[in-house]
Amino acid sequence: MNSELRGGFRVGVDIGGTFTDVSIVDGVGHVHATKSPSMPADPAKGVVAALERAALELGLTLPLLLSRTDLFVHGSTIATNTLLERTGAVVGLLGTEGFRDTIEIRRGWRDNPWDHRAPWPDPIVPRHRRLSVVERMDAEGNAVIPLDPASVRRALDRMLSFGVESVAICLLHSYRNSDHEQRCRDIIAAHAPELWVTLSSELAPVVGEYERASTSVINAYVAPRVVPYLNGLERELRAMGLRALLVVQSNGGVVSVAQIARHPVSMLLSGPAAAAGALTHFQTEAGTDHLISLEVGGTSCDVMMVNAGEIGMTDLLDIERLRVAVPSVEITTVSAGGGSIASVDEGGLLCVGPRGAGSNPGPACYERGGMQPTVTDAQLLLGRLRPGAQGGGAIILNRWLAEEAIRTQIAEPLGLQPFEAAVGIIRLAEQTMLHAVENVSIEKGLDPHRFTLVAGGGAGALHASSIARLARCQNVFVPRLAGVLCAFGMCNTDLRCDLQRSIPIALEQQHRGILDRLTATLIGQATALLETEGFPPERRRFLTQWYLRYFGQQSSIPITVRDDEPIAAIIERFEAEHRRMFGHTQPDGRHQVVSVKVSGFGLLSRLHAQASNYTSSRGIDPCERREIWVDAEHDWKEVPVFKGSALAPHRLVDGPAIVEESTTTILVGAGDRLRVTSGGNYIIELQ
Amino acid sequence: MDPVLLALTQKQLDHITRQMGWVMMKTARSPIFSQSHDFSCFIGDADGAVVAQADGIPIHTGSGGFALRALKHAFGGDIAEGDVFLSNDPYLAGNNHLADWTVMRPVFVEGVLFGFSCNRAHQSDVGGGVAGTYNAAAREIFHEGVRIPPLRIAQTDVVREDILQLLLANTRCPDLLVGDLHAMLGSTRIGAERLASLARDLGSKQAQRLFPNLLDYAERRMQAEIEQLRPGRYCGVDVSDHDCFAEANIRIEVSLTVERERLVFDFSGCSPQIAGFKNSPLANTSSAVYLAVATFLDQSLPRNEGAYRAIQIIAPEGTIVNAKSPAPVGFTTTHPAHEIITACWQALSGAAPDRSCAGWGKSLHPVSAGSTRQGNVFVLYHWLGYPAAGAVAERDGFNVLGTVNTLGGLVLPNVEDLELAYPVEIRRQEFRTDGGGPGRMRGGTGIHYEARQLVPTETTFRDEASRRPSGSGVMGGQAGAIASIRCRAADGTLLQTPAYGTLRCGPMDISIESAGGGGWGDPGERNPEAVRRDVLDELVSLDAARTIYQVVLSSDMSNVDYQATHRERSKRRFTTTTLEEIAQWELSRQEPTPANDERSSRRPSPFRSH
Repeated sequence: MNSELRGGFRVGVDIGGTFTDVSIVDGVGHVHATKSPSMPADPAKGVVAALERAALELGLTLPLLLSRTDLFVHGSTIATNTLLERTGAVVGLLGTEGFRDTIEIRRGWRDNPWDHRAPWPDPIVPRHRRLSVVERMDAEGNAVIPLDPASVRRALDRMLSFGVESVAICLLHSYRNSDHEQRCRDIIAAHAPELWVTLSSELAPVVGEYERASTSVINAYVAPRVVPYLNGLERELRAMGLRALLVVQSNGGVVSVAQIARHPVSMLLSGPAAAAGALTHFQTEAGTDHLISLEVGGTSCDVMMVNAGEIGMTDLLDIERLRVAVPSVEITTVSAGGGSIASVDEGGLLCVGPRGAGSNPGPACYERGGMQPTVTDAQLLLGRLRPGAQGGGAIILNRWLAEEAIRTQIAEPLGLQPFEAAVGIIRLAEQTMLHAVENVSIEKGLDPHRFTLVAGGGAGALHASSIARLARCQNVFVPRLAGVLCAFGMCNTDLRCDLQRSIPIALEQQHRGILDRLTATLIGQATALLETEGFPPERRRFLTQWYLRYFGQQSSIPITVRDDEPIAAIIERFEAEHRRMFGHTQPDGRHQVVSVKVSGFGLLSRLHAQASNYTSSRGIDPCERREIWVDAEHDWKEVPVFKGSALAPHRLVDGPAIVEESTTTILVGAGDRLRVTSGGNYIIELQ
Repeated sequence: MDPVLLALTQKQLDHITRQMGWVMMKTARSPIFSQSHDFSCFIGDADGAVVAQADGIPIHTGSGGFALRALKHAFGGDIAEGDVFLSNDPYLAGNNHLADWTVMRPVFVEGVLFGFSCNRAHQSDVGGGVAGTYNAAAREIFHEGVRIPPLRIAQTDVVREDILQLLLANTRCPDLLVGDLHAMLGSTRIGAERLASLARDLGSKQAQRLFPNLLDYAERRMQAEIEQLRPGRYCGVDVSDHDCFAEANIRIEVSLTVERERLVFDFSGCSPQIAGFKNSPLANTSSAVYLAVATFLDQSLPRNEGAYRAIQIIAPEGTIVNAKSPAPVGFTTTHPAHEIITACWQALSGAAPDRSCAGWGKSLHPVSAGSTRQGNVFVLYHWLGYPAAGAVAERDGFNVLGTVNTLGGLVLPNVEDLELAYPVEIRRQEFRTDGGGPGRMRGGTGIHYEARQLVPTETTFRDEASRRPSGSGVMGGQAGAIASIRCRAADGTLLQTPAYGTLRCGPMDISIESAGGGGWGDPGERNPEAVRRDVLDELVSLDAARTIYQVVLSSDMSNVDYQATHRERSKRRFTTTTLEEIAQWELSRQEPTPANDERSSRRPSPFRSH
């Protein structure tokens, strides 16, 4: 694969529930973005249609665009939707005798114990398709009961009688010794070669049978839906001249279709995780490597963090109350977005969310029959959104309908003026978003004061200044293409593979050899993968982390380890991190390595985006003035409204003001100052 | 008060208590907090009423005010800025048991007492007859640990060293205790700072109205919920058959009167206090009642004392639900909390049958302590042998979850982690067949758990579940299966194990079948398709399907024989199953997805939308 830019294009395609976003960066660094409707019934067709539209806007044919494309990255919700809509394969789970119910016991995990009437989601594999084989490994990986091949064949026959298409295998302690899992696979391959097979010891060789089994069954569940889609799309695009299709993983990095086909479960955050690439890119322009992103969508708000240039990661993903042990970008989601519904409860208290109006009927102002007032209705009522047709007529914002809904359902029951009710709705929604920002920062022992808030999504820039002020963040950064942040992020990413293996062992000098051998093995595997993907040695980078804890602790802390580093230095770093996170160390505590992780990166060249050409060079005057509700102090005020396309780099705008971009609207607060960056994005300096 | 401001501040107060929880989790030393979250953070008003408590173990809910009022009573006007108070005694200080310590930090705004920032947390050891706070042999509270009346632990925000040393002299784990106490102090400091800053932002006029308004709002919500109930008088009863020393007949009986906007729980029919450590002080009884009401009604109800104003509790002194000193109370948050909750649920079900909650199974999992072959001391809780939850109209019971006083808030360890950390081999962890109480919604099945302990241990038994079924059914549902525990020495001999007590044992095999949860509604009305799936999944036997659920399946279990099922069910005198319902069941059978289930019609929203 060749990623060098020789005047070629970088293309990011992000399929979401409603829209497919395409972001194209040309050889000069100009960015083009388009939004097209998604086609959930045939997502590949949706991708091609969106690309055709984007090519047309650039005055190209699709084959011409594709043949001149050097980097093509795709993020797709197909794995996520397969899981959420429960449209995956018929899966069978092969486990150790005596432990059939691990994935249904779920370690007793309740999100909210008080909500005891809520059932758990049905297990991906019902009990009758969870079958046992006779075998047992002990915690050291010794086979205390040898594998009985006849029991595997019996289980297999039974699975086939239930119509199983895909088998997950998760045996106790297989992270330590995978021999029995591999022999199970051999037996299946010999008797039923048509079945998809997922081995927990290959997919997620980490200690903890619940997380490993849960990850394996989800992989087995989505694989037969995701892999054919990706193969088909790649074939189609190659036929039109594309060289290679890369796919975004939950870890924010990309990988080839051939690789992801082995572990499609790591595509569950494909799409949202790509925002990491955008945040990395914006660090230079924002002038800081401390960023918190706030992406406000229809009914939810996603928050991510870049701390000292490192994107926040997690090793355990929680998706719709299912656990997935795959290294992922950490995204904190709260229910507050443009479509969040406002209501008054039976005690007379104003509530916003968690229910949302979706896109159909959508907010009351959409003229689609929605009767319940939402955050978008409140913004419209306060003049911050422009009434009338938006996005080429796809949506019409009717201010009268917004006011009616807020007046009858919120203002009158509470004895307020409609605009006061609207202000209340927005303040409540913003408080929820603020709490999410505090969750990701303060909970990790980091002060939001050191961070710049990045506003993403269509509605992020309407709320960001106010939230930043409350959280005492320094600045707000608004990407011009805030509405297609993820697609844009796909144009600035690296190839990444995470290889992890548990080896619970005391952290002592005598075990150094074992740990070094395991690290070397993992680096060897990563190297082989990068080589296959066409990365020469000078474009490979490796990061080794050991997961350490005190004996007896349940959770561990990843510590970056350099070659030949003395054990004492590693322990010192662990203790410092432990103190930072938990406020103390254990002077007599014994240290334990839980697992070793190697992240291999295939470095792609960095994106150099440029400010695009502007539609107007005379962008001095605002295109109109509009009366909006600014804040409690300034109340209603006529403020200038600018078209973003008319604002050239280095232009300053003093608040209060509104800037309308093609995919977002920016509210510049009273006393704040907006500056256009050299890259054509915005920084709001807070008062 | 401005309704928008009220909504904002209520959320903010909840957020503050959660932040106090983060600080606690991050800074506490003992694993009790990170693993079982056995603590709670709350904010009280200047009179000592709890106004916000978003974070915490369910059985703590509602008892914090007792401790605050005892503090106010003890110190009166002698409460100054910079003071921090501590207490743990149930009789002298309004607490639930000695293991739970309560730190209370007054918050002053412009020199006037505004409220309290508080943290209550279970300590790893508080002295007493055995290590680890649960002394099953206790006959008096003096056997349970150090008693702390309300006392000033810090002055001008400096911890009083002499007091601290006294406390540390009374624990087996001073390192853990001092670490955890400082975590509690830090957590209340953060809460106090946030609360003061909130009050300053509001201004003194608005701030003064804040707490009364929040309590009034909660009361209105609770009253609106109570108005949905059928007025009348209803009874509930649960029993315990052991007083920790001998078999006994202990009744927890409640008579509930539902008035227009009020609930009166009268425990006058309860047994007198008992010899063993399963007595309840009033604070704990109140918590158990509030837990029962909150889970029965609407989980989104505010959990503060405004809501509790609508609830009156009559508990005569000297009974098991309002024990007199010096009765031991060490086990109170588990038993009799379990019995109080079950009795209240039963009584409430008369007032709103659709919301009935079947009983959860009671526990009998032992605790084993010993030394590894390397000489390290360990304490192994056999949590994997937890009981099952009862059913409600919305779902079947959870097959294994935990005890009802925590609502299952404890996360179970993985088998692989247990085998790494302890000298134990887990042999089995699988659902029981026919363990769940039959019902229209089935009770949880309970678990079959087998463990081989490889080294000698001292194993403590606390068995509430093996002598009679404990997960009671409701609305025509039946009780869950009885639990059992068997211990075998390495040579295969069956050991005699006590109901309550500690046994010195060599290496041995423990086999537990935990208690099933109760069923909800008539099993003859259960969706035959759900019965078929249970049979296929081996959670219900073919025999039980036929005799209890009256469902006839095809020989390969791939189909329900609906005609035969209808014939079976029609034989019963009071069948309520109609032909229309059968037609509906047949329709639900034809749903297309392989993992179809009529319970999961709630479709999750996509991960995000553009």
